[in-house]
Amino acid sequence: MDILIPDNWLRDYLKTKATKSDIAKYISLCGPSVERISGDAKSPVYLTEVTTNRVDTASIYGFAREAAVILPRFKISARFNEIKPKSKFSLSKKVSYLKAQVDKKLCFRFTAILIKDVKIGPSPAWMQKRLSEVGVRPINNVVDISNYIMHDLGQPVHTFDYDKIKGQQMVLRESRKGEEITTLDGKKHILPGGDIVIEDGEKLIDLAGIMGGENSAVGTNTKNVLLFVQTYNPVNIRRTSMAIPKRTEAAVLFEKGLDPELVETAIRKAVDLFVETTSGTAEKAALDIYPTPYKSKKIEVSIDFINRVIGVEISKSEVKEILDKLGFKTEVKGKKITVEVPSYRAKDIAIAEDVVEEIARIYGYFNLPSQVMTGKIPESLADSPFEFEVNIKRFLAGVGGNEVYTLSLVSSDMTDRNSLRLRNPLGSETEYLRSTLRTSLVGAANSNLGEKEPFHLFEMANAYISTNKEELPKEKMTLGGIFVGYSYREAKGIVEAMLEKLHIIYKEEISEKQGFLVNQRTEIKSEGKTLGEFGVLSDNEFLYYEFDVELLRKHAKPFAKYRPTPKYPPQIEDITIIFPERTKIGEVMATINANKFVSKTGLVEIYDNAYTFRVWYQDPNKTLEDKEVEKIREKLIHEVKQKFGGTVKG
Amino acid sequence: MREEIINIKNQALAQIMDAASIEELERVEMSYLGRSGKLTLLIKKIKELSQNERKSAGTIINEAKDTIYETLARQKNKINETSRVWFDPTIPGIKPKVGTLHLLTYAIDEIAHTFERIGFSRVRYPEVDWDWFAFEALNMPKNHPARDDWETFFVDHPINSKLGQVVLTPHTSNGQVREMKRVKVPPIRMINIAKCYRRQSDISHTQMFHQFEGLVIDENISVVNLKGTLDYFARNFFGKDRKTRLRPYHFQFTEPSFEVDITCDICKGEGCKLCKEGWLELGGAGMVHPNVLKAGGIDPTKYTGFAFGWGVERTYMMKSGIAIGDVRTLYSSNLTYLRQF
Repeated sequence: MDILIPDNWLRDYLKTKATKSDIAKYISLCGPSVERISGDAKSPVYLTEVTTNRVDTASIYGFAREAAVILPRFKISARFNEIKPKSKFSLSKKVSYLKAQVDKKLCFRFTAILIKDVKIGPSPAWMQKRLSEVGVRPINNVVDISNYIMHDLGQPVHTFDYDKIKGQQMVLRESRKGEEITTLDGKKHILPGGDIVIEDGEKLIDLAGIMGGENSAVGTNTKNVLLFVQTYNPVNIRRTSMAIPKRTEAAVLFEKGLDPELVETAIRKAVDLFVETTSGTAEKAALDIYPTPYKSKKIEVSIDFINRVIGVEISKSEVKEILDKLGFKTEVKGKKITVEVPSYRAKDIAIAEDVVEEIARIYGYFNLPSQVMTGKIPESLADSPFEFEVNIKRFLAGVGGNEVYTLSLVSSDMTDRNSLRLRNPLGSETEYLRSTLRTSLVGAANSNLGEKEPFHLFEMANAYISTNKEELPKEKMTLGGIFVGYSYREAKGIVEAMLEKLHIIYKEEISEKQGFLVNQRTEIKSEGKTLGEFGVLSDNEFLYYEFDVELLRKHAKPFAKYRPTPKYPPQIEDITIIFPERTKIGEVMATINANKFVSKTGLVEIYDNAYTFRVWYQDPNKTLEDKEVEKIREKLIHEVKQKFGGTVKG
Repeated sequence: MREEIINIKNQALAQIMDAASIEELERVEMSYLGRSGKLTLLIKKIKELSQNERKSAGTIINEAKDTIYETLARQKNKINETSRVWFDPTIPGIKPKVGTLHLLTYAIDEIAHTFERIGFSRVRYPEVDWDWFAFEALNMPKNHPARDDWETFFVDHPINSKLGQVVLTPHTSNGQVREMKRVKVPPIRMINIAKCYRRQSDISHTQMFHQFEGLVIDENISVVNLKGTLDYFARNFFGKDRKTRLRPYHFQFTEPSFEVDITCDICKGEGCKLCKEGWLELGGAGMVHPNVLKAGGIDPTKYTGFAFGWGVERTYMMKSGIAIGDVRTLYSSNLTYLRQF
């Protein structure tokens, strides 16, 4: 979370000569990160990022406490001024002016005090200025005190109009689903249930920790104020605040888990401000329901462990000094240090490693040397797929393909029954995980239809396939590609060239599938396994291919089998054959190529039904004579005529 | 005589016009105008003519001579011109169709290789994984905000009694415990690069993005080694003049935890609009939390380690100076965009 720290306000608690840039630079290195300095030269404001574990620094007071430890490490003297509230009221489990029944699982500490005869009016100028500096609009003295304390101490404070609380009683409980409350900003909420609410004699008056109820809010006619300071269960606060949703500053603080010991400081300082600025009179006793007061825990850490993790030798005395300054109580016995954790650090410090972090950050990460580890280098993955994958991508880019990365999340009309559905998608457009890249690539192609030149887009990404069992869904590394403006033969040639480049021996088999034109899709098979598909899509006649990359990898070889270069040259000739309509030329060529004296067959030209083939006649053992070639040719032509009804032209 | 001269002239002109090379022209010149050329011999005969005849014959011969010389020269030029075949070297070539790899492929490849050079092995772990690997084993308590419905995607899938729900991994850190379980006995130097998903979509976030996760575990691995590794990466990936720094941060699965910053490339660390007082955030890192080591079956009293997990998109954009204002543009399929890389 980001908070604003005005420099002038900070110096209430921090006595130092440090300049604003000292503060920004040095505190960032060892504590909360000052992201930016705003405000004018006389009153700079630090925009500070506080990590979730350090909500104790999410206030002017907490930041000062941290700064007072860090600045002296950079030889800038700094002293922390602890708050000493003036008000001396007692804390009591029961008070006459309020009956409260509190669920201790929801509220770890509950305090309240009645302040009578409050005069509502504007707050003093100094308070208004400070509130403006932290981005809060001043409203009136009572509301401003709550906001002031929250920024000052990091403890949210609430105020009720005491006379609007029916029967002077409160029940703090979990809400039931469907209960309603209108918050003081005038918005009505139907509660999801499990929210922390406060009910007076007849109605809900507070959505605790988030925002007060409209019906109990302080107004211009308020005379008596009930000042209210609590520690709530962070889990309930976060759930409600996200669900409604209402992300108030109070909720953001409460959901981090606040220090119940801070409650007393906050209520006393708030009463001081009430007396000072509203001329109200506080009761002699505050209600304080605090069933499990903080008991400090102790952690034992060895000096050796500290030095092993940090990587340098830090002396025992320096370790002790750092921890003492941070407010830990330490006790050194030989090589062991016992560390007692103050309440405001209890959330964050639980084990030895946490203590190491405290020492290391104050010692300064910038003070540590930098050294790549020595030691044994682990074996790399035996069967690594990564080179193979990137080689396919490079090949496809080399023959004109443009690689895309598209979103794996798709809408329901882009899925099939194997697709995984998200329980909490951001919208229906991204409700499913794709089980094929096809729909995404069609989308990508469609977004480029203004393109004049033919294009080829491809992608390699996991397809996710539902198993619907107690095992993980399958992730299938998938290669997909789409051609727009390419002829069938051009596109197919690219797929064939890729398979040849991978030295995969394959067969194509015509096979129907939804989404492809009838009779215009083939499956590419190798050793009985279907590696992928190629065909014409029915919706748009784009050409599409998709392969299982792991199967490609299994059937690929880095090199073809070595064959000696033929000693005897081939005789090459072109033969033009006329076929009846609907002849499958792939099968014709396979027939020609099956002859043992034919080393290669190509298709040179197509003119109507006339196909010109180029045939390489070759015998590995001798040079073929014209007569022998003639014999082979006759045999071929005979076969083609018998099987396909083809007749030689001319 | 006059007739004879005109005949010879015409003969000569015809032969000159027919000549196809300079050599042939020279032969023709010699045979008419050489020392014993046809026209030369005729000139010598002029002496034998009468005074009257001599004058008119002289004029005709001179005329013939001039014409022959002129024609010779014209033909010579013509031959010279045509012997240099007309050619325009400025005409543009016919390019083969060359495609492009995506920016992210370059980025992933380069990141992987940079770490492989110091002994890291690239691995691949699930992008759709059990809650246990994505959260529970990473020391994230059940009620941690990252585990709630607002930040992480959950898959509608049967729940496993031990491993919990199925989630889209919000980080590559699920690979940490999986790698520990695969290797069993350190040393480990892993780099895991994969797609991740988070429930957010705006100018600086996409629902899907890529991360790379580094994990090193061995005896006596310290913060000093973490610094060394990240400095090595910064020098080799971003350039020799770039520096990194660690700042305290917080992650559940590391302790201590850091935010890693790198000096801003634009202002060279002076401070500018794009950076924070001269530094840019690279990403998070930290020493592996003992609970995570335990979850992976590794004894935290014997071994220590560090880990880091950064966004591929963000890291690469910081290197290349490719300022893409809206990260969603990275995932555009627009050819004009794709062809730039």
